[in-house]
Amino acid sequence: MARDGKTGRFSKQELGKHFNSLAATAITKRIVVKCFYYLVICSMAFVFLYPFLTMVITSVMTDSDLINITVKWIPSELKWSNYKIAFNQLSYRRYFFNSLIIAGLSTVGHVLSCALIGYGFARYTFKLSGPLFALVILSMLVPVQTIIFPMYIQYSKMGWLDSYKPLIVPTFFGYGLNGAFFIFLFRQFFKSLPKEMEEAARLDGCGPLRTFFRIMLPMSKSSVLVATVLSFVWHWNDYFEPNIYIRTPAKRVLPSLLPSLYALLNSEDAMELVMEDGGFTFNNAMLMAGTFLVILPVLIVYSVLQKQFMEGVERSGLAGM
Amino acid sequence: MKKKTSADAAPEAVTAVTPEKPAKEKKPRTKRILTLERKHTLEVIIFLAPWIIGTAAFFLNPIISSMRLSFSEITQLKGFKMGWVGLKNFEYILAYDINFMPIFVTVVKDTLINTPLTLVFSLIIALLINKPFVGRGFFRTCFFIPVLLGSGYVMQQLLQIDAMGTVGVGIVLPPMLKGLLGNTISVVVQSFLDRITLILWHSGVQIILFLAGLQSINGTLYEAAKVDGATQWEMFWKITLPMISPIILLNFVYTMVMYFTSSDNELVAYIIDEVFVSQQFGQGAAMGWVYFLFVFALCGLVFGIIKLNSREKKGVTANGKRR
Repeated sequence: MARDGKTGRFSKQELGKHFNSLAATAITKRIVVKCFYYLVICSMAFVFLYPFLTMVITSVMTDSDLINITVKWIPSELKWSNYKIAFNQLSYRRYFFNSLIIAGLSTVGHVLSCALIGYGFARYTFKLSGPLFALVILSMLVPVQTIIFPMYIQYSKMGWLDSYKPLIVPTFFGYGLNGAFFIFLFRQFFKSLPKEMEEAARLDGCGPLRTFFRIMLPMSKSSVLVATVLSFVWHWNDYFEPNIYIRTPAKRVLPSLLPSLYALLNSEDAMELVMEDGGFTFNNAMLMAGTFLVILPVLIVYSVLQKQFMEGVERSGLAGM
Repeated sequence: MKKKTSADAAPEAVTAVTPEKPAKEKKPRTKRILTLERKHTLEVIIFLAPWIIGTAAFFLNPIISSMRLSFSEITQLKGFKMGWVGLKNFEYILAYDINFMPIFVTVVKDTLINTPLTLVFSLIIALLINKPFVGRGFFRTCFFIPVLLGSGYVMQQLLQIDAMGTVGVGIVLPPMLKGLLGNTISVVVQSFLDRITLILWHSGVQIILFLAGLQSINGTLYEAAKVDGATQWEMFWKITLPMISPIILLNFVYTMVMYFTSSDNELVAYIIDEVFVSQQFGQGAAMGWVYFLFVFALCGLVFGIIKLNSREKKGVTANGKRR
């Protein structure tokens, strides 16, 4: 860039050019950064989606597509009957309601009890509140598997075996699957709320339980939603505890049927993709269709509540420890 | 249960205090304070009652009987009669069981490698989807899919199939690239890819927790730093990381516990096998206890280190202020 001979200043034209080029480099830089950003995030998303997409695509493949190696992403035709076979093979209608009862009731139990307990830990300080909360955290650390046998004996003495009680009742007392996590979640949330609302309510003569149910619980909608989604999803997917406590085949849950489905396929030669069994074709595509059917309710629940769930997470106050 | 005794003690205190007070004006005042206190303990009991009952029934009871079981032997299967054998079970699993220690060591090693990697990757992803951009909702849903599939059988199968390569659900190196890289390197790259897939698929909840942490950071901090001429890199190390350090601790413990307790963990499978298939109840309980104590000690260590660190940092800032 040349200076003007007379005044020793940059001419307006020159300056304009200079700034234009600067702006241009800034824009190209931003575009490059954006491209890189999307490249990274897309590759990450691909890793996340890969198994899921493969499952969905495999589930609609025809027998010939399954054998054909060149067909990976785009099936030559969509074979929806795979789903029908899987639906019947899983006895979906019956086991769906079993799973729904367990997951639904446990979710209700978790939300009610953990909100109450979390509120108790967030708002009341007393001599033992520290050690008691440490016990909550400790119960998070104990693997279920180390105490599963004594629990099994305990439930068998109570006559709870082969029913849904061992799965549902503990959730109403802040235990069960990841119960301590939800207590923690609610405690953090209630701690982040200002105390003024309750104090006003209490001054007006509202009792503690009524204050909780009428004022605090409606205010904690976002955390209730987070707990609902997570608890439902976790209970729906869990098959370890149902497998141990439930013996009667009619009472089993959907995810615990999958192992037998997989075993059915693996028992045959894995290379032999097509297998005749009782008049219908049982193959990998059907297996994937069955797998997809099992997680379908969870996907629906999440896709409906997705936006509120994410907002709830951001508002959960988990960061303010 | 402790709370009840203090609540019972309150009325006793009233009767004990009142005769001592000669002045009539003071009497109602002390009474009122005490009733408030009593009310307070009553409220605590109301809110924590479910948890106290639950802890007694579903936590302490099984834990104590499991501890007893680890020191004993089932003498009679009917009614589960136990006989005390001392440390025999522990001696057996630590000295004679040829499977326990090797599995234990591999599980611990795997967890110690996977946990920090999971944290790093989930933090990177959380940072990527924290700021608004086109398609943010879609990517958020993508990264949440592993949570939906959960620790359940579906995910385990999808990942296992990937590892075995029979159906090819995980990412497999294209054959062309394999030829280009040579056999040894491609094996390394493939195992690296497998591990990354596994780690990413286990980091759903961690991403969510990190997102919550990142969202809670006050934006004015970044603005102030920008005015002072800080770069993005500096802002990350000087603002973001210190602000989310509590979440890092929470995530660290969560991830470690998740890896240690997930049902696709070999040792957990071994313990279950020992109890429900081999019916060596005492030994199974002892294994569970060795394992749990180890996990507990490790978590305690992490807590201790991080607490020490934060204390040191606080000391540094205090010195800085003095200057």
